[in-house]
Amino acid sequence: MNSVDPRINRLLKARQPADVGPKAPLDQFGTFEVFVKARGGKPFQHEGIVHAPDAEMAFVLAKETFTRRFTCVSLFVADTRQIFVSPLTEGSQSVFDILSGPPGDPALPTEPYEVFHLYKRGKQHVHAGTVNASSPIEAMQVSRSLQESKTVYSVWVIRMADIRFTRPDEEDMWETLPEKKFRDAVEYKGGDRLKTFLRS
Amino acid sequence: MKDEALNDLLYRMADDLLVLGHRNAEWTGIGPLLEEDIAFSSMAQDKIGQSLALYTLLHEAGEPDPDTLGFMRDASDFRNCIFVELPNGEYDFSLIRHFLFDTALAVRIDSLTRCSYEPLANLARKIQAELKYHALHANTFVRKLGTATGESINRLQRSIDEALPFALGIFESTPWEKEIVERSLCESETILESRWRARIDRIVATTALTLPSRDVLTPVYGGRAGQHSEHLQPLIDEMTEVYRSDPETEW
Repeated sequence: MNSVDPRINRLLKARQPADVGPKAPLDQFGTFEVFVKARGGKPFQHEGIVHAPDAEMAFVLAKETFTRRFTCVSLFVADTRQIFVSPLTEGSQSVFDILSGPPGDPALPTEPYEVFHLYKRGKQHVHAGTVNASSPIEAMQVSRSLQESKTVYSVWVIRMADIRFTRPDEEDMWETLPEKKFRDAVEYKGGDRLKTFLRS
Repeated sequence: MKDEALNDLLYRMADDLLVLGHRNAEWTGIGPLLEEDIAFSSMAQDKIGQSLALYTLLHEAGEPDPDTLGFMRDASDFRNCIFVELPNGEYDFSLIRHFLFDTALAVRIDSLTRCSYEPLANLARKIQAELKYHALHANTFVRKLGTATGESINRLQRSIDEALPFALGIFESTPWEKEIVERSLCESETILESRWRARIDRIVATTALTLPSRDVLTPVYGGRAGQHSEHLQPLIDEMTEVYRSDPETEW
């Protein structure tokens, strides 16, 4: 039997004795990290991943995976492999205290990197700014100047060239999002309706 | 005083969106990828939301309320094109239908931003931006799959060949078209169809797929006049089953 529903097909296959063995490697799409800007005043924030064959598909899928509710003004994606991450610190130790390395050679060509800082363990990385550097580690070190007061526990840097940003003509895609109350579970007032029904 | 021409324009679009929204929502839970399942379901929800907005305009123009229009009519009262009521088939057909229909919708909504009936022009201007994503999604999938493997290209090509005659039914002319054009409610179906054709040609040209020329295609008409295939009534029966079990109930 061949059903459109893959759960039915798996059920029928399951009746045959299974081969037990290690899972085949690389049987999923690679991952792309997704960064979302909820409102004009807020910075971009890391939200999660999508699995996709390339950056364009990742952008298209990220839009509905992460920005179906509330508000959004922009989003961008980057291949997980192109994100450079620093070690993680905690307590009162700043990550910049342990980012080793001599200053970069000023003769080398630089390019822009987007920088993300982690200000609180357990929260998401938040966009701190853009720096020019000739290497990821240099970008991390230079990014110290972007944050004077808060302790930074981790730095992520991504070459701007590796990012699929939202184009200016795409920015209005989310215009009608705030009025789509039907996407927010709270709006259905399920609890209230249940109480009313039980009381009646 | 019933404005039959305006009503015809609104019913055609609202019914297209409700029926296709329902069909696309049938993929929820069994889509080919997790993220794609979410995206396709979300766009289906958008379509149903847009149909609600159009039924609301109809209600404001004197027709019954949206719930009655959506859940209490039967097949011969619906004015959707036959294209949108066809069963989903496999995902390649649904993707092609998504590509062909959403491009046509974008062309029509663009025309309606200049509609002489202000409430409809305002609605068109509002949803034009969110439709950009539907087109981006469809165009990206067609571009990627249309250049990927022998299997993806063959499947998409078979679906295009099957879908095109039905897609032309989107632009079926109705007895009110002349009045609709004269009153600047919307541009003619012929103009909309040629703009639509230009847009899909542009995307398909970047792939290994081919579109047969217009003169060898025979459009499948009838839906706009309430003459539907055998698929619409079972769809309506399933879609309205819960509502019709108690139309007076408070939700």
